[in-house]
Amino acid sequence: MSTAVTARDLRAERWRLRARNTADFARRFAKRRDGLVGIAILVFFSALALFPDLFVGPLQTASTATGGRLEPPSTAHWLGTDELGRDIMNLTVHGARISMVIGLLATIITIVIGATIGIVAGYAGGIIDTSLMRFTDFFLVLPTFVLAIALVPLIREVVGDEAEIFGIRAKLFVIIFVIGITSWASTARIIRSQALSVRERAFVTRARAIGAGPGRIMWRHLLPNVVNLIVANAVLIFAGAILTETFLSFIGLGDPFAPSWGQILNASQTVGAPVLGAWWYFLPPGASIVLVVLSFTLLGAALDDVLNPRLRVRR
Amino acid sequence: MSFIGDGSGPLGRDMDGAAREAAEQDRLEAEVAGTRPGAASPVGDDAMTARISADAARDLIRAQRPWPLPKQADPKAPLLVVEDLRTHFKLESGWVKAVDGVSFRLDDGEALGLVGESGCGKTTTALSLVKLLPGNARIRKGSQVKLFDIDLVPKSEAAMRRYRWREISMVFQGAMNALNPVRRVSEQIAEPIEQRLGVERGASLRRAGELLELVGIPAKRGSTYPHELSGGMRQRAMIAMALACDPAIVIGDEPTTALDVMIQAQILELLERLRRELGLSLILITHDLSVTAETCDRVLVMYAGKVAEEGPVRRVYSAPRHPYTQKLMGAFPNIHADRRALEVIPGQPPDLKDPPPGCRFHPRCPAVMEVCKVEVPPEVRFPDGVRVACHLHPAGKDGGVQVDAADVADYRAPLVAPVPLGGIDRAGEGPAA
Amino acid sequence: MTDDLIRLEGLEVHFPLHANLEDVVLRRPRGAVRAVDGIDLAIQKGEILALVGESGSGKTTTGRVIVKLTRQTAGSIVFDGQDVSDLWGQRRLREYRKRVQIIFQDPYETLNPKQTINDFVAEPLQVNGIARSLAEREQRVLEALESVGLRPAREFAFRYPHELSGGQRQRVVIAGAMILEPELVVADEPVSMLDVSIRTELLRLMLDLREQRGLTYLFITHDLSLAWVLADRIAVMYLGKIVEIGPADQVIRSPHHPYTQALVSVSPTPEPPAPGLGAQRTILEGETPDAARIPSGCRFHPRCPLAFDRCRSEEPPLVDMGRGQSAACWLAEPGRPLPTMPTTAAPAPLPEVTPVATPEPSAKADPTDADPAAPPA
Repeated sequence: MSTAVTARDLRAERWRLRARNTADFARRFAKRRDGLVGIAILVFFSALALFPDLFVGPLQTASTATGGRLEPPSTAHWLGTDELGRDIMNLTVHGARISMVIGLLATIITIVIGATIGIVAGYAGGIIDTSLMRFTDFFLVLPTFVLAIALVPLIREVVGDEAEIFGIRAKLFVIIFVIGITSWASTARIIRSQALSVRERAFVTRARAIGAGPGRIMWRHLLPNVVNLIVANAVLIFAGAILTETFLSFIGLGDPFAPSWGQILNASQTVGAPVLGAWWYFLPPGASIVLVVLSFTLLGAALDDVLNPRLRVRR
Repeated sequence: MSFIGDGSGPLGRDMDGAAREAAEQDRLEAEVAGTRPGAASPVGDDAMTARISADAARDLIRAQRPWPLPKQADPKAPLLVVEDLRTHFKLESGWVKAVDGVSFRLDDGEALGLVGESGCGKTTTALSLVKLLPGNARIRKGSQVKLFDIDLVPKSEAAMRRYRWREISMVFQGAMNALNPVRRVSEQIAEPIEQRLGVERGASLRRAGELLELVGIPAKRGSTYPHELSGGMRQRAMIAMALACDPAIVIGDEPTTALDVMIQAQILELLERLRRELGLSLILITHDLSVTAETCDRVLVMYAGKVAEEGPVRRVYSAPRHPYTQKLMGAFPNIHADRRALEVIPGQPPDLKDPPPGCRFHPRCPAVMEVCKVEVPPEVRFPDGVRVACHLHPAGKDGGVQVDAADVADYRAPLVAPVPLGGIDRAGEGPAA
Repeated sequence: MTDDLIRLEGLEVHFPLHANLEDVVLRRPRGAVRAVDGIDLAIQKGEILALVGESGSGKTTTGRVIVKLTRQTAGSIVFDGQDVSDLWGQRRLREYRKRVQIIFQDPYETLNPKQTINDFVAEPLQVNGIARSLAEREQRVLEALESVGLRPAREFAFRYPHELSGGQRQRVVIAGAMILEPELVVADEPVSMLDVSIRTELLRLMLDLREQRGLTYLFITHDLSLAWVLADRIAVMYLGKIVEIGPADQVIRSPHHPYTQALVSVSPTPEPPAPGLGAQRTILEGETPDAARIPSGCRFHPRCPLAFDRCRSEEPPLVDMGRGQSAACWLAEPGRPLPTMPTTAAPAPLPEVTPVATPEPSAKADPTDADPAAPPA
């Protein structure tokens, strides 16, 4: 019996295997070209979002008119200027932060609500399941955009316009909140159906047989087995959130003082940039949105493949 | 059950060139036939079965075929000959040699058992016959699967459809997964009849009903959905489906594995009866030695993608030569033997990406010798019809002769298949014809 | 009877059938699935009792009741002299769970694919608040893994289930059950998903563990030959009742119940039946009836080749046959063998299948080599 194994040995072993698993994952992921493209695009936009100052200078420079009205791209303004003479590239780069923050926070809200309700409903079953799902159905049938259009002014009225949280204006949180509560329902549905099937598997019965309570079973057994679904879903939610934000800003429900991509598009439309042939006004934010959404879709597909252990059969 | 006569059957014998071999076979037949596993059959000792020469059996069964042999077929060729089959799977980490040089022959009306642990390549072998392999599988050059002397390996997917189900059909293990849950059972049985034979809907459904009766399900239950049937019934329905186009060969892939013992006995009995009365040839894939013991004429024990031992069931099981077969037999809980005398085969089957050199069983073999670690044992055929690949049984010892794939193809099993004489009419042959 | 580790008395598990609309309208009484329908069973300390039956016999439900995964509807469970019938709730069951564990059938399903082996084996300790420090827990996990033959244990501890073979997984499952050092282990078909060669290793392991720890097993299986290899006593269940129970040798060698006899006769053996011997198989017709519609009288009578009038109306009690063997059959009498069972007689000829009108292959189905309608060779 080699029971003389010390705790340190074990810790080393644990880290060794963890490192191996991570390397394994990285190696498999590296084979997915679509996933790598997705990551590359995402890293680029994340860099823009995290350090916009490095690329184009602080936010103040974005709101300062430095050129003429609707100037086409030139060496001074690579992507031209808007109707107030502001640099479009500068605006787009700063827009990345706002759009991505909105996407990220909205996704977190959606996933937390959706996964919790889905797992609880799936595990508990019976009356709890039924009532939670009726509640979910209510949100599911509400048209997101209509609800958002109705909610944004309402909440703004209640909260007020001027507050700031972490340097981001409160109005943005209104948008985040609206996106969050309007899109969790489908997530909850998907997670619940998966939880229902996981619940029937023998390892859950075994957990009950050793005396594990419902909390532990949901946290340790159901959640890890629906996490693939959560990740794949989150990626799509993120893309959807950015689109929703764009839409809300575009129809004028955003925050005019925060240059998100949707806001820029909105402004370009107001000015009539498409009619004036000022493609440099709407193309950069539009292309950014398309690229970010695309990168998430690519990433989602690749992750789904790589994380799915059924495809990793060892013979 | 003992076969009638002393070897000269009612149809006489075909003395074309192999008279001496046939005489030798006769001796073996007399020896083996008296105790052949068919003894368990309910058909038993009746006049419907008679012992005749293998060629006569072949001709008789082929004469009862409901439709002509395929155009390119050689009417005198053995039913199925597999020569040096190599099926490999491509994985990220390399090629898995799931089947690596397997040869065997199956004659008309014969039942062959493919036995081995999971991962030994038995299912892959069977799927290679009908080329229903996953996308990452390749059948290597030099492999031959000859049905009536037609090599199926180079056939295109479209050409294979001519043979699948019509000549070779399958019964799968999980009947619930193999049946479509949202279609009625009889419709699913009728489907291949319509698709492959171009029969009208009404006639195909009528035939489906009769096939259900044939496997012991009342025809009216055909209008139910698979989930409404019990496990045993579903497996029967699967068998009916396999019989839909009157195939020459039915492959059963673990057909009784998930079933209760009593149901298992019922299904095996049914298969045995169908084989006898329809002149089918059976290939039974199983990890359960008892299934082959009860149903098959011959057994082929596979280990790590290769043939370990092959021969008449009674011979192989009563005096196994290969240490693997011995171990496998010893590991089987036998209600009629001494209890708690269970053998353990140490270790695990090898990784087929990188199989051990020499004999693939050598790391687990209790009788391992130095030669086993370096040299792949050749296949040696013994006079009693058993073929073994083991250095303990070299050519020359006990009259063993080294054989290669072509020899296996030419070798006719010493057992004569039971032949239906006036069994039921098969499609295309009855009064309507 | 002080040696009994666990005693089931009149145990019943009836699952009510939910009434559908039709039932409600027609005021039909709601039925119940009588999965377990009144069994008495005692397992002695250190004994291996095999509970044998086909699917639908109630053997698995019985096991689940013992480990408190399913609630009985009547009857009592006495464990080590204490009535545990009404012991429920996570906290109250803690002590009981430490002493009674279960091993499930499917090693692929029983292991959470997202949990390392270490986490799986350590979970019972964590859940039950034993060995609170990480180091102590890991130490015990290693010992448990070694005891089930997974050596070196530290190589296995942080792997995931998909990296292990079926046999190794089932060893992990056993380690997970053994880590609480239980006294009674309910093994529900622990080897039926595994290959023959791996099966015997695991059966050996189970026997070894019994030797070392004085374990008691309830071994649930559908395979009489496995029961015979492993068990001290065998209880045969049919449709929720025990129809025969006794020492393994006696039940196998001289069964007193027709059902047991039939089971023995069809029990798989790797030896081809010798001439004459093969004919002794008794293959029962049909399948086990639905447990919601249990036949009157002796529940086995519709399939019993020996059934007579009394069997249809009166249910036979479990009668002592001597030497510790009991059977529930009107024909069973102490010291007298059962009347010979009819073996598989020549069945009725197979029904005919009408030939299809045109057996010629359709051209569409055979694009490459359609056959001319030449007569067969």
